Formats: sequence, structure tokens, C-alpha cells
Amino acid sequence: MRKLLKKDLPRLIEWLKTSYLLYGPTEYGFAPIADHTPELITPIRPPKGIFFPQYQVLFRYDGKVPKSKGIGLFGVRPCDAKGLLILNRIFTQGPYRDNYWQDQYQSGIIIGIGCNQPQPTCFCHWFGIGPFGKEGCDLFLTDIGDGFLIEAVSKKGEDLISSFDPLLPPTDQDLKRRDEIVARAEAQLKDGIDPKLIKERLDNLWESPIWGELAERCLSCALCTYLCPTCHCFDIQDEEKARVRIWDSCLFPLFTQEASGHNPRPEIRDRLRQRIMHKFNYLYLQYKEAGCVGCGRCVIFCPVNLDLRELMRRILDEG
Amino acid sequence: MRDNPYWPIEMVVGRIKVESDDRMLRSFDLRFKDPSQRFDFLPGQFCQLSILGKGEAPFGIASSPDEKDFLRFTVNRVGVVTTALHYLKEGEVIGLRGPLGNHYPVEKFRGEDVVIIGGGFAFTTLRSLLLYLLARREEFGQITVIYGARRPGLLLYRDELFQWEGRSDLRLILTVDKEFPGWNRKVGFVPAVTKEVAPSSKKGWAVVCGPPIMIKYTLPVLSELGFPPERIYTSLERRMKCGIGKCGRCNIGPKYVCIDGPVFSLAELERLPEPY
Repeated sequence: MRKLLKKDLPRLIEWLKTSYLLYGPTEYGFAPIADHTPELITPIRPPKGIFFPQYQVLFRYDGKVPKSKGIGLFGVRPCDAKGLLILNRIFTQGPYRDNYWQDQYQSGIIIGIGCNQPQPTCFCHWFGIGPFGKEGCDLFLTDIGDGFLIEAVSKKGEDLISSFDPLLPPTDQDLKRRDEIVARAEAQLKDGIDPKLIKERLDNLWESPIWGELAERCLSCALCTYLCPTCHCFDIQDEEKARVRIWDSCLFPLFTQEASGHNPRPEIRDRLRQRIMHKFNYLYLQYKEAGCVGCGRCVIFCPVNLDLRELMRRILDEG
Repeated sequence: MRDNPYWPIEMVVGRIKVESDDRMLRSFDLRFKDPSQRFDFLPGQFCQLSILGKGEAPFGIASSPDEKDFLRFTVNRVGVVTTALHYLKEGEVIGLRGPLGNHYPVEKFRGEDVVIIGGGFAFTTLRSLLLYLLARREEFGQITVIYGARRPGLLLYRDELFQWEGRSDLRLILTVDKEFPGWNRKVGFVPAVTKEVAPSSKKGWAVVCGPPIMIKYTLPVLSELGFPPERIYTSLERRMKCGIGKCGRCNIGPKYVCIDGPVFSLAELERLPEPY
């Protein structure tokens, strides 16, 4: 544990930039940090697109495969860092490994920051993350007012930070303030639901009327999947000069539309059920963890105000 | 392939054969441009074929693992990629990723009887399976094949089928839906013919591939004949993109058709939620 004074933050940023192509939060998403110190806000888009771009060239027909650079993500919230970890699992485990993801993720570094002020839409604690969860980070920052406490979470993080000079040892006062901040933030997150229970209840809800009722509201617009830190479905398309992959969504009817005309998931009801089952049942079955990190983006931005937390409570009541 | 599972290897188009009288089904024999990229596979596995600039689509391997010089695929012309494939000429180069997916459990069939039931153009991986069994004929018990199509001109691999009819170590029943001039074999739907042929379920395995409606009515017949769900296998299709369990679209419940399938036993399918 070390301490960085706020006036030294630009020095840290500049120093990180010597080793990594450094991205930081902006209002809409993570973007390369140019010559300013990033404002440590939670962007509308999670950082998944930095390692898994919405549009990515797999290879050009002339044989060229784009090379990846070491990317540093600065100011990643605990939910988003965990989201990247879940994606890493999906892309690298099983019989095949996705080299595009793996090259980007493993050559990168993730500098997380705790959430002193969780939002009313936050429910990361349901998934064992919490406002100061460090899983998936290499370094972790806690804002204690006049500075940041910096913790090395991984060996990569330790190696990196050990050679950065302007850090101070934290005082007892600093640590006490950190404990107060953590306790205050955690106290704001209440009434969680155990994802294991959700998984078990969903086992019985394949034929439930819940899906049809939700479908009356859902537009099948896929906004929730685009903003989700763990949604990973993609399409592969051939363009004029390259084969590319593009984010896709299980909420789109074409996702499963077959050339014969048959579609195994023709209705919004079927596709909503697929999304919820995938995240909370199938992924849990596979990894003992849900494919959700409780970031609340789908709750905040859904144009018809579907609230995943309400759905989870219904699932708990009816399953 | 192992370093980059999205990277296709190059295959050279060899023999092209129009299989059906409506010319919608064509078989392509593909040779490895770089012979060192040749791979082994087992019946039931599939590959992604691609024409750069047009796209990729999955096809079951119709050749036998013993046909070492080429891989055969039979393509039904239905969409963008399959139409582009139909325009291929001998000597052209296309992309291939594979072998993908699991295979028919041939190791379990050893010493026991096998009945292969096919319908329409779903006979592709069944051809692979049948050739595999015939090449190791003494390792298996009775082999029965029931293959039906709407009309004779839609039966795949007709020349071979008519040859196999003459074999004494194989019971091959070909059937078409309706009477047809010059057709002196069976007439009737696959489920009814299966019931009539009544292959023994004692120490027997059944492999069924065909249009959903045929499968739907054949499975109960097999159950009546005494085949338990663990001994009935089928191969499923879904829209696929990656073929390696990442892109998220070919799942049926928690199983991906591309990596957990395409071959499933009826016992496995009965545990899955969606209509398959």
C-alpha cells in the first residue's frame, strides 16, 4: 500500500503512458488519454470495447492480421474490472481460445478505482464485488481526499508500481480515512440476492409467463447488450478487404435466423429468456458465477425502464 | 489453426458433382493446398467453409476419414455463401476451418448393431459414418441403413447407394415418398419404413439425421422398437458463426451445438429446454 498525492496524479499518468497506450474514462466510454488528466467518472460504455472492439478486423484477405498493443486502462470501476475478467474466462476457456481477446487482455494492465459514492442503480454487491472489489485489477486506487491509496493487486501491478518514485507510505490517518470511506460506501448497498438462488429458480422458469409479460415492454433494441460489461456475442462478416467481427446481440431476430427460414428464437419473449438464462443460469452452471456484475447500465439506460433487479426479485418469488 | 482459430486454411476445389435432379445440391471434393495441414477427423464432425468476401458457413463432412486425399462436402444452395459455393469451379481455392464439433460415438458401436436412418439431404455425415463402419466391417454387428427422400432424384450419392445395395453384409433400404416411374424399390415415409424394417434394438444403436419432421416421427418408432434414449443419436444444426463456442448463437439451453455437439443422444436432448 502506497499513497499518491493528487498533485502527482499527472506524473503517474505520464509515467504509465511510457509503457502502455493508456485509456481513461470519458462521459461516453474509455478513450486514449491525451494531454489532460482524466476525470474519474463512470462512463456510459464499459471498457470491454477496448479489448473486444465493436468492429474488429480478424484478418485482411492479403494475409495481414492486425497487431495488438499493450493497453492500460486507468480508472476502471470494480464492476467493469470484474466484467473483463468474466469475458476473459469466456474467451480463453473451453476447447478453443480466442487469440484476439487474449493478446489484448494479457498484454494490458488494469488500474481500478473504488467507488466512494455508489449510485442507486448499483448492485455489484449481489455478485460479491462491492464498491472496493479488486478482482480483475492489477493496481487499485482509493480516493481518500488529498490523495489516492495505491494497492498492487497482481504481480504485474507490483512490478509496475515498484519503480514509480513519487509514492509515499500511507499514514495511520490515511488508512483510517480509507476504512471510513469503504464502510460508508458499503453501507449504501443493501438487500442483495444470491445469484445461486437466481440460477436455481430459473431452472423452473422456462415456461413462465414472466417472459411474455416482459416482452410486452421490451423493444428488443439490444441497448442492454451493447452496454453490458459481459455480453460477448458477435457476428463475423466478410467485407470487401477483410473478415471482421462485429458485436451482435441475442435480442436481434436475425441472430439465430437460419437460411431455411427457420428461427429457433422468433419472438422477443424467446430472446429475452435467452439473455437472462445465458447470464444467470447457463454461465452460472459453467463457472459458478453469473454473467452480470451489477453495474446498473441496463437499468439506467433501458428506454422502456425494464429493471433487471425487479426481474430478479420476481424470479425469486415465482421460481 | 491452433494459434488463430478464425484463420482458414486453403483448400483446392477438385471434383464437383451435381447430386440432385433439381441441381440445388452439389458435392465438392476439396484437397489441402498445403498437404501438411491435412487433419484426421471422425464421422459427424463439421467444417466452416468460406469464400473470402462472401462469408462462412458450416457443413458436415461427407467423406470418410479413410478417404485421405480429400474432404467432401455436399452443399444445398440456399443463401449467399452456398450460392457462391455453387459457382465454384475446379481448381479454385477456398477457406476451411476444422474439423469442428464432436462425432458419432463409433467407439461405443464396436461389436454391436447399428441402424442409420437418413432423410433428404441430411445424409452427408451419415455417408461418412457408413463408410467408416464398412471399412471396419468385422468390428461391428448388423448394419442397417434406411434412407428416404421425396423422390429418387433427391437421394444423395445414388451411384454408391445402388452399389451398396448389392452387399451381403449390409441391409440397405431406400425409399421415396410417392410412386415414381422406374422406381422399383420401397415407397413410404421413413418412420413407417423404419417400423416395417424393425431393426433390432438388442445391442443396437440408432443414428437419425433428416428434416425435423422426419426426426419427430422416427424417434417414437425407435422407442417402440426398444431403443433407449441413450442409444439414439442425432446431429443438430443451428445458425453458427465462430464454430468454437464464443460467438454465442448456436446454444440450446446451456449447450453449444458447435462444441458440445453437433451430435447429441436423445437422452441429452431430453434434458435440454428448447425444441430441437
